[in-house]
Amino acid sequence: MSEQQDYEPRVVAFLCKWCSSAGSDLAGVSRIQYPANATPITVPCTGAISPMYILSAFNKGADGVLVSGCHIGDCHYLEGNYLARRKMYLIMKLLEFIGVEQNRFRMSWVSAAEGAKFAQVITDFVGDLQQLGPQDKLKRAENK
Amino acid sequence: MIKLQDIRDTARDMLAKGEARAVIGYRRGSRGMLAEPAFLTRPEEADELVWDPTCFHNLSLYLVHDRKHLAHARKTAGAPVAVIAKGCDARSIVVLLQEHYFQREDVYIIGVSCEGTGVVDERKLAGHLNGAQAISAAFDGDDFVFTTAEGEKRLPAREVMADRCLECCSPFPKEHNLAFGEDKTGRQLEAPFAALDRFEAQGAGERWDNWARHFDRCIRCFACRSVCPMCYCDECVVDSITFPVTTATTAEEKASRIRWIERSAARSENITYLMTRAMHLAGRCTDCGECDRACPVNVPIRLLNNKMEKEAREQFGFEPGASIGGPSLVASFLDNDPGNFIR
Amino acid sequence: MEKILDKKRLGDWVDALADYEVLAPAWEEDAWGYQPVNGPIRLDHPNTKQSPKRLAFPQREVFFTFEQIKGEAPRLTQTLPEAPRHAVFGVRPCDGRGVPRMDQVFNDYVEDVYYNTRRKNVAYVGLACNKPPNANCFCLSVGGSPVSTDGLDVQMTDLGDRYFVKAVTETGKALMTAAAGVFAEPSAADKKQLKDMHAAAVAYPQRAVNDPDGAPAKLKANFKSPLWDELARACIGCGICTFLCPTCHCFDINDEVQSKAPLKGQRVRTWDNCQFPDFTMHSSGHNPREGTGARLRQRVSHKFQYFHENFGMHQCTGCGRCITECPVGIDIIHVVNKVAANAA
Repeated sequence: MSEQQDYEPRVVAFLCKWCSSAGSDLAGVSRIQYPANATPITVPCTGAISPMYILSAFNKGADGVLVSGCHIGDCHYLEGNYLARRKMYLIMKLLEFIGVEQNRFRMSWVSAAEGAKFAQVITDFVGDLQQLGPQDKLKRAENK
Repeated sequence: MIKLQDIRDTARDMLAKGEARAVIGYRRGSRGMLAEPAFLTRPEEADELVWDPTCFHNLSLYLVHDRKHLAHARKTAGAPVAVIAKGCDARSIVVLLQEHYFQREDVYIIGVSCEGTGVVDERKLAGHLNGAQAISAAFDGDDFVFTTAEGEKRLPAREVMADRCLECCSPFPKEHNLAFGEDKTGRQLEAPFAALDRFEAQGAGERWDNWARHFDRCIRCFACRSVCPMCYCDECVVDSITFPVTTATTAEEKASRIRWIERSAARSENITYLMTRAMHLAGRCTDCGECDRACPVNVPIRLLNNKMEKEAREQFGFEPGASIGGPSLVASFLDNDPGNFIR
Repeated sequence: MEKILDKKRLGDWVDALADYEVLAPAWEEDAWGYQPVNGPIRLDHPNTKQSPKRLAFPQREVFFTFEQIKGEAPRLTQTLPEAPRHAVFGVRPCDGRGVPRMDQVFNDYVEDVYYNTRRKNVAYVGLACNKPPNANCFCLSVGGSPVSTDGLDVQMTDLGDRYFVKAVTETGKALMTAAAGVFAEPSAADKKQLKDMHAAAVAYPQRAVNDPDGAPAKLKANFKSPLWDELARACIGCGICTFLCPTCHCFDINDEVQSKAPLKGQRVRTWDNCQFPDFTMHSSGHNPREGTGARLRQRVSHKFQYFHENFGMHQCTGCGRCITECPVGIDIIHVVNKVAANAA
């Protein structure tokens, strides 16, 4: 895959404001090095993420989509992440079903204290996406 | 075996006594063998009703239309609407009731059991008739009997039934005010999700090749959405108007409104539309198969909905339209929902 | 120009049309559709699921691209279609008759350069119907015929083991001249058989609009009839009838923005459909055609009244697609007959 050496995957990361978003800040202030490929979008809770957001991110050209929120039991709204777990499972299965590579969608639990974990999640994801190359299945043709 | 006269008598009786504002059922259409939805308001119209293997339509759609019409006219319901419902149709009504779309007393469910068969698949039938046009279709035990210009043609129902009916184990409308026909809940003509399983047996690459071809064909006529009783949103995400406009809305706001999906019938947009629809129907679709039947370009839309139904059953123990008081799939959860996909 | 083509030599004719991308009906995904020809073709289809209108009027057409750098004037670049020359085989007479109707619409008052650019590159090779290919055919009652050459460049008639091929236009002549060697001269017997076939085709019983000539006035008189709501009770408001129709031509124009900074995008025309609830939706939220009755009236009256008033012919060509494909049995023949029989 030598020609893809220069390829930089674009990741859209939906981050819960109560945990993963703060976790990404912690990674930053702790000066942990990790790839700069993710565009963060802060959401009030993973439970507020419509599967439409995931599809839309792919549609607008994302190579990978990350959803990251609070560990089970830690939701600021008590059960938002339980609901997200179901919805994200379903959209993940649907994407897989039509033949989108499994590694293009990822979900993780990252608390505000887990700066190192956040950096690791992004590093792993970007590494996996680098293997896959650009996403063009769901991407709008004129944006290719 | 259902006696058509019983259905007609019930409809006539209800309309004569004013127990129903209208009876929604099936009648013979003006084009060949196909039944079409009928809206009866006078007792003498009851004899128009038919019950045969071309009664595909999920008539609960018209309960949704009725409710929208009443809301628009600012009218209250009054007497209930009586509706003829097959097993899958009755489950749709249950979902609508779960979602408080209307109240139980607003609808009188005249259940009809599909017993050992179901509805015909026109594409399968065409393969058996070699170009001949069927003029009528009738149930007869495990067979369907068709008449064509060349005479009568009897076919085992299993050979020309819709896939969804072959896979259906609940052909009896559990939720009903009155039901005709034998309760054959639990019957198994083919394994549930048989068509889905055949499709899923392919590798990811093959699945994508197939779906890419299907998504390319979609012409965005939205028949799948329009024919679906669950697609009752006043504003759908694919419509050009997807946000409320008031006199205070500025041109700037109109110009920068979010457009999730472009109007162009391009593969990427078609995927986003059909996938969004499948997600929106997860836990709500009762597999009446109308989207699949209505599609003029034969996109196997049902498989997307089936996939969600199967995951919901296997992972969350969820059955769409099982009971009026039951939870909704995506607004509920269990502590032990699968979570090992999360890092 | 009239010739005889042995069925076995149809492929040779197609091969000789190297300057064209040749399309013919093929069975794919359980339906007939026009597909690029690669390999042998058989013209034994009833009619295609979709009409050939998209060759000149595709579902999506880019008008121009736009680009604006902040503070500068926007730059627009027109994108005229680079359409290949198409020769489309197996076009049924009803779809052929759709062509001049579309020409009329896209050249009345304003000449649509996008439509015309594509249109002039399409040659329609028709196939006469020896008997109605569809149970809902009704071309005879809208001024057409199973052997009409209207809108076609070439008319082929199936004579069993050979085709009778007739050039209708100069384009058609050129198509035939390109493969002069594959044709034979018709004998007197061939001409006799053609005449008999055509006579039989026209005599074949079809469904019918009872009084097509009286329809415009009857529809006009019934504009406010409650019958429309009744006839459209089952209508679900989808786009099947119009998208499959050979003469429906309504469209929407949208800007598809690709990037916001710098602002870049395309102005795009896409098919639209009078049966969609938002077709006539005003930005105030008011909708003058709120109900399905008003929308059905629009479709049917456009076909059988408005178009007739404007251009002196029915827009409907009687292909029957909207009837056959309607998921809930809305039947334009039944609707016109029923409304026309209604004393307004």
